Amino acid sequence: MDEQTKKQINERYERELDKGERFWPDSIFKDVVMAVGIFILLILLASFVGIPFEPKADPSDTSYIPRPEWYFLFLFKFLALYGQLPLIGKIEWLATVLIPTVALGALTLLPFIEKSPNRHYSKRVLPITIMSVMVVGIILLTMMSEVPTIAEDGSKLLGTLQTVVGIFIPVAAYVLLYVFKNNNRLMIWTASLSSVAMILISGVVLSLAPAKEIEETLVAATLPDQIVAGQDLYSLHCTECHGDDGSVAIIEGVEGLEGEKITPINSRDVLYTITDSAMGEVIAYGRPNAGMPPFGKTYGGELTRSEMDYIIIFMRYMWDDRFEAPEIKPLFPPLADGEVPSYDVHIQPIAKRYCISCHREGKDNNNYLMTSYDEILTTGDNADHNVIAGDENSYLLQVVKHQAIMNPDNPNEEMIGVMPPNKTLSADILDALTRWILNGMPQTAEDAAALSTPAP
Amino acid sequence: MWKQVYAWLDERLGLNDLYTNLLDRPEPKTSWWNTLGSASMFLFILQGFTGIFLTVYYTPSPDHAYDSINYIMEGVAFGWLIRGIHHWGATLMVLVVFIHMLRVFYTASFKYPRELTWLIGIGLFLTTLGMGFTGYLLPWNQKSYWATTVGTQIAGTVPFVGEFILKALRGGPDLSALTLQRFFSAHIWIIPAILAALIGVHLYLIIKHGESHWPKKED
Repeated sequence: MDEQTKKQINERYERELDKGERFWPDSIFKDVVMAVGIFILLILLASFVGIPFEPKADPSDTSYIPRPEWYFLFLFKFLALYGQLPLIGKIEWLATVLIPTVALGALTLLPFIEKSPNRHYSKRVLPITIMSVMVVGIILLTMMSEVPTIAEDGSKLLGTLQTVVGIFIPVAAYVLLYVFKNNNRLMIWTASLSSVAMILISGVVLSLAPAKEIEETLVAATLPDQIVAGQDLYSLHCTECHGDDGSVAIIEGVEGLEGEKITPINSRDVLYTITDSAMGEVIAYGRPNAGMPPFGKTYGGELTRSEMDYIIIFMRYMWDDRFEAPEIKPLFPPLADGEVPSYDVHIQPIAKRYCISCHREGKDNNNYLMTSYDEILTTGDNADHNVIAGDENSYLLQVVKHQAIMNPDNPNEEMIGVMPPNKTLSADILDALTRWILNGMPQTAEDAAALSTPAP
Repeated sequence: MWKQVYAWLDERLGLNDLYTNLLDRPEPKTSWWNTLGSASMFLFILQGFTGIFLTVYYTPSPDHAYDSINYIMEGVAFGWLIRGIHHWGATLMVLVVFIHMLRVFYTASFKYPRELTWLIGIGLFLTTLGMGFTGYLLPWNQKSYWATTVGTQIAGTVPFVGEFILKALRGGPDLSALTLQRFFSAHIWIIPAILAALIGVHLYLIIKHGESHWPKKED
């Protein structure tokens, strides 16, 4: 750039300054308004949108679909699409290193690439159209980042369409723009048409994309929630051997571990001497020599890091006398006179806490499963007798009231033992189960309300 | 009385000079698009303040990071607000900085005499992304853990030195306590220091050359 042009530019700027405003207060005023607007927006977002709770990091959970931060999603998608290209798709570093470096390099050195002193749009159509196609591509790739490139039925249609949007059209557009660089009209047409085509095809991709599956993960945020979550997990995985209060010293009624001597895990010996992290290791890895299987996902169990943490929190707050438990909601809302309990509100939490530890797939339970409403009513070797509407002699009611069911062919042989094996259910739970069966086992709260007789 | 105090301070600090040189400057007519730069800086300062508050309770170790964030959200008075602003502020900062860059590109404000301002600006954009990348890992939840896993993996595909970069970022072959520690250190010391220094130079250049005017037909 020669001295003459520089002088022209500076004189031009002086003329604009003469027609302009003062930095203080004119420009500052706008800046302050903008800052206040942003601050209010952030407070609204923090208050009403918040931050979604995520489970704790679990390096062993290889089923988790990794995703980068949202502002890298376009790059992530671009890499996935690039990997689909024949031949060069296999050379990974071309896409991960070379292309981003070239793009970033061009952006950085922009003032030295676009050297003309012209600033008005009409005189810089080439750079503006190239950048616009690129920005449209980045936005569309970000929007499509959740769409798989290969559908579940193996169809590659979605992937191909995405590659057209993310790679073919933009590359063709850049080439054409460069070819037409002396014709503003053609450049504008090229950029507009390719942008419209990209937007339309992405619209098709997004409408064809399979609905996003919402994965439910157990995330408890507050201490009472964590304790309850821990108790439910404990009931499911630990009660069978350790008992529901952790006091079992000799295992009974568990196949393969019958009579095994264990340390009661609610004792001070355990709680005072084993730290949380050591306890986590025991749960995760098990104690192979003492017969305890591993529970952590890392070692083939079912529990994630967060879930094991909840169990430990439950144990601390319930049994460790150095911890003071916060107020915890009852298992189910107490029943009023004449109120009929429902499966959804009352029976399900009871079953979850006291029954499904054994009454689920893969346990010794006479094939009686209790993990859902239908299972409770219809499964099991004695399905006809387990739960009978209105019948106080339903097997389920008898055994929870600690009357074992004898084998009809051999009156001295216990066919079904008392349930739960080592515990007596509290009176309110027995009452809820009795009322539920006597009133015909309603499933939803509405069904139950319809059967209830209002208190006088 | 106040006049005397002001005069005393002015003699020593040069307040009047500051006023004439920094604030009472002529500017070309500016539009709302010109506020994006100062908005980015406002967000940086806001992120700084909320971030400092967060470090009071945050613990950068795999055993405690997740629980300490949980405690900030549930136990600390207005912790949810501070973290909410920090969380959304990060997202907004990346957006605002990016749109600011686009604005400068479309109005060709990077041209003579503002080439250096643009170069520094690219540095600011990259460090902002760096802040986002390092900050994302700190809550140590599933999302952040696996995002960092793929992010560092991509860095590991660089030919010849990829392996070294990957290990340098993670502090070993896998994500570990070391990764969290160095991301934390980068997030609260190294990158903000670079960012603040670059902002200083960027601001100096803006004051030196003035805001560029909106391009007209004759430009």
